Amino acid sequence: MAVEAKVEAPTNTRREASFGARLRRLVDAGLSVLVLCALVALLEVVVRIFDVPSYVFPAPSQIFKALYAGFAEPIFSRSAYYMHIMTTAIEALASFVIGSLLGVVAGALIIQFSLLRRIVLPYFIGLQSVPKVALAPLFVVWFGLGISSKIVLGVLLTFFPLMINTAAGLASVERERLELMQSMKASGWKTFRLVKLPSALPFIFAGLEMAAAYAVLGAVVGEFVGGTSGLGVLILNRNAVLDVAGSLAALIILALMGVGLQRAVAAARARVLFWAPSEDTLADRI
Amino acid sequence: MDPIITVRDLTKTYRSKREGLVNALDPVSFTVEEGEFVCLVGPSGCGKSTLLKILAGIVARTSGDFGIRHQGHGATDCHIGLVFQSPVLLPWRTVLHNTLLPSEVLGLDRAAAEKRGRKLLATVGLKGFENSYPSELSGGMQQRCAITRALLHDPPILLMDEPFGALDAMTRDSMNVELLRIWAESGKTVFLITHSISEAVFLADRVLVMSPRPGRILDEIRPNLPRPRDFDSMTTREFSEAVRRIRNKLGMDERSKSHGS
Repeated sequence: MAVEAKVEAPTNTRREASFGARLRRLVDAGLSVLVLCALVALLEVVVRIFDVPSYVFPAPSQIFKALYAGFAEPIFSRSAYYMHIMTTAIEALASFVIGSLLGVVAGALIIQFSLLRRIVLPYFIGLQSVPKVALAPLFVVWFGLGISSKIVLGVLLTFFPLMINTAAGLASVERERLELMQSMKASGWKTFRLVKLPSALPFIFAGLEMAAAYAVLGAVVGEFVGGTSGLGVLILNRNAVLDVAGSLAALIILALMGVGLQRAVAAARARVLFWAPSEDTLADRI
Repeated sequence: MDPIITVRDLTKTYRSKREGLVNALDPVSFTVEEGEFVCLVGPSGCGKSTLLKILAGIVARTSGDFGIRHQGHGATDCHIGLVFQSPVLLPWRTVLHNTLLPSEVLGLDRAAAEKRGRKLLATVGLKGFENSYPSELSGGMQQRCAITRALLHDPPILLMDEPFGALDAMTRDSMNVELLRIWAESGKTVFLITHSISEAVFLADRVLVMSPRPGRILDEIRPNLPRPRDFDSMTTREFSEAVRRIRNKLGMDERSKSHGS
């Protein structure tokens, strides 16, 4: 037996990708960028050749010009992007953090206390099927034009995927792991902390990936319905004066913001869930 | 001295959606002496795992009684160490921290537990793997880690549910020899469940033979094999004698099959 132990060396194949795999990912990324550049160039050519009016679809160069102009303005100017980005980022981040925390806590409570589950869960399921963005006008009435009405909407959107995923994760813990804890007469809290919550983390992170997208969605929809600042407001203002290039520039920033949040979640997942099979991420499953 | 495990008229019935009330365990009675190695052998689905889970405090009994004597083991409330068929290691913990799990659950002294954990890992040949993760270990190594976890809080009794059933035959044989060594060194009482007759005969001081569901103890056999046992023990006449007797009891010989009894 001891001999076997000497022969087998620990392998890190799962955590450290091989050189070949890393190279392939680099090549893939390079090709992606090339394809994007080619598409943008094609768009530019098409718009110029057919002389498409800029209020229908501006040439990419105009969009970039608008982007540049937005960042070149003084920081506190109303037409500069900085304040709008800050507003939307704060709304999205706050929604993400608050909604996710509440969702995890609610999912855990619902699993740990079956009485709560029986009494409350039907309402949550019912609320889940309400199109939540339809509540945005009401939230503006109740919470005003500031960031709070957007955060409330974002919290509502991010709460459900986290609650459902946390509950599902906690409910599907391997039975033998629980029996092991039972055989040691572990308290409910210790079983939860040492076994159930870590076991549920892959589910929770899948929920966080969804929540990252919903958080930005909540912020923008909230701003559309009524707001004084934010990228959603910027898009509405630019649209009102037929500045489509300005709208699209704001949209690009919004997309980058969403990607950034999702990347942050993915990075956190890679750190925390190094032990779980990595093909569980949404992007890898496709 | 009183036996360390006493089981009296233990039964278990449970409600199943499809079959209604199911009798998993007919009244079962037996005792296990301190330091004894007892194997319970029976066909799959005979309720032997249920019996073990009752002893481990995981499943509630329906009627009857069982007792586990514990004196001089005031350190913890947990008097058993449990080993499953699969290792049930927590993948986010290193080998050492898996071994140390009971110390966290039972609130043992950290430094002392870690010292003991490292020693246990060394005795099962996992020295140098303390900081590896379970996914980096072979099946046999994972199960050895599970055994160190069961032994960490120094319980007087080790309950094992087909601990090597998921391993390949060769690893399984060497794990059995190693288990006997650990048992001899530690002086623990071992109650082990298996459906392998030869494994039971090889390991046990006493083999309890269980009937198909609802489980009953049909017979009790003391293999007449000297200790320490090694692979050669399996080729002796006494070994095959004991195996044959258990096989007969379980109605696995051809005569009883052809007569349908």
